[in-house]
Amino acid sequence: MPPRHLVVGAGTAGLNCIRTIREEDGGASEITLVAAERPYSRMVLPYYLDRSIAESHVFTATAATLAAWKVKTYIGRKAASLNPQANTLALDDGRTIEYDDCLIATGSRAVKAPVPGADSPGIHSFWTLDQAREVIGGIKPGSHVVMVGAGFIAFTILNSILSLDAKLTIVEIAPRILPRMVDDTGAALVEAWLRKHGVRILTGATLTRIEVARGKRRLKFKKGSDLLADLVIMATGIKPNLEWLQGSGIRMDHGILVDDHLRSSVPSVYAAGDVAEGKDGVTGGHVVHAIEPTAMEHGRVVGANMAGRDVAYRGSLNMNIVEVCRLDVASFGAWDDPRAEAFAGHRPERSAYRKLCWSGDRLTGAIIIGQAGDIWTTNDVGMLKGLVQTGVRLGAWKEHLRRNPFDVKPAFIASRTTARLLPETILGRPSCAPELPTTVTP
Amino acid sequence: MKVLKIVPEKCTGCLRCELACSYMQTGTFQPAKSVIRVSPYEGHTSYAPYTCTQCVEGWCMTACPVGAITITPVGAKDVVDDRCVGCKLCTIACPYGTIFYDPDTRKAFKCNLCGGAPACAEACPTAAIVYEAVETCDWLGEFANERSMRLLAVGGR
Repeated sequence: MPPRHLVVGAGTAGLNCIRTIREEDGGASEITLVAAERPYSRMVLPYYLDRSIAESHVFTATAATLAAWKVKTYIGRKAASLNPQANTLALDDGRTIEYDDCLIATGSRAVKAPVPGADSPGIHSFWTLDQAREVIGGIKPGSHVVMVGAGFIAFTILNSILSLDAKLTIVEIAPRILPRMVDDTGAALVEAWLRKHGVRILTGATLTRIEVARGKRRLKFKKGSDLLADLVIMATGIKPNLEWLQGSGIRMDHGILVDDHLRSSVPSVYAAGDVAEGKDGVTGGHVVHAIEPTAMEHGRVVGANMAGRDVAYRGSLNMNIVEVCRLDVASFGAWDDPRAEAFAGHRPERSAYRKLCWSGDRLTGAIIIGQAGDIWTTNDVGMLKGLVQTGVRLGAWKEHLRRNPFDVKPAFIASRTTARLLPETILGRPSCAPELPTTVTP
Repeated sequence: MKVLKIVPEKCTGCLRCELACSYMQTGTFQPAKSVIRVSPYEGHTSYAPYTCTQCVEGWCMTACPVGAITITPVGAKDVVDDRCVGCKLCTIACPYGTIFYDPDTRKAFKCNLCGGAPACAEACPTAAIVYEAVETCDWLGEFANERSMRLLAVGGR
């Protein structure tokens, strides 16, 4: 009997798993997909919001593609519980699915600030496609949009909101913006840039309640005057979808604890993406990296292992990039390690900032901020990633970078980082083009 | 597959590759938008061009959430413009720093070997860039390392 793979979740992790199984086995196994929603990419929703793409562009695998990949689907169904002893999954409609191995890739969901009125109409999250549709329907030119939260998710839709000619106010409970993406200096630079571009930012603002008044939303704060909004977006955090696994016996902390093959405490059950707490490639510790690249790499590694390969994952790398009003902001690795030796370079007149964090002469983390016209004429964004990813020893270049944190390229090249990188692959083989799995033999 | 073999000792720093590349890729002579980029070494006494190796992992390609980076018939990883939304995930996934973002088109862009007739190799007057069927490798590492001693010793540029 061919092996029966079960994939729960059709986000980046789930679909990369399915794709990789088919790259490896050409269609020899049975794959079942359970997904609450039709597969789409959350990454591209901001571009749907600003109308630069049509809604059809967000879908990642159509019913026809999944059929061509020989995937049996339960779309619109949620997983209700897992019985790892019996190798069965129960669906929310009472049906049961048997499997030989299973991937849990149920992702995360947006959570709103716990204030009275947060669930009333006109108070949105921007996480799912349905939520994106609601926000799109709600923003008109001249609308006053209040964004609660100034983290990465909020910033990914900032340009889109401005491009719709809406007026934007950002309120943040913390004393500064982007708390988990850049350090204080970087945050101050981005904040100054945004103010210069007409975005109102209120930090240290504790929202206490939201009232609906004459078609508008009135936001009340612990201190300071009220805000009147046409539409409110709560970008106040995400939470992994793990509640349905209570009682399954699978070991969980912040996420499902996984080994270097992405197996949970039950060897036939894998976890990937936002629900997985796996190895951090820089620190070696266990961590949930709820970011797209980790979901993709996790999914591919699980797919290869499900297909019978023996692929150990080197660990994920924390990284993010976001652009606001043509200012690019990116960070890699352990940029916020308070014990790390760090040096920074700041060119306020160009709104440019670099921070490099070290363990000995290896780079363990980096922040890069700069105007689009500066950043993309260099190779620095990717090179910083390469230096953190490889942990290549920079020797005397460390002192050079202390003197000039902006001069990354010669350090990267002369340290033979390219030679270190060329043999590196995630799956121990060349990657396939995205089209390839459609050639699965029927 | 044929790759861009770089012979840094032959580079004179004339930047014709950058001009040819930007003209081929964007229709304008605009080195800032070239995807092959020449750097100086040893206080501008030597130079070498740097570009995408078309690595087998294809970090940019696997990172793309909408499958907008694919492998062309000549084996280059290339951005499909009408699929790319400009999210820049590829630019942080590529550990070589050889995929870029164009704020004017709002798309990612990179070396695509000009469909099998690379303009940079054709424009190079000293054959420092050769389009050849060889295994790709770290063409610049040793060269750059040898020519960094003075820079590192004096503690300046």
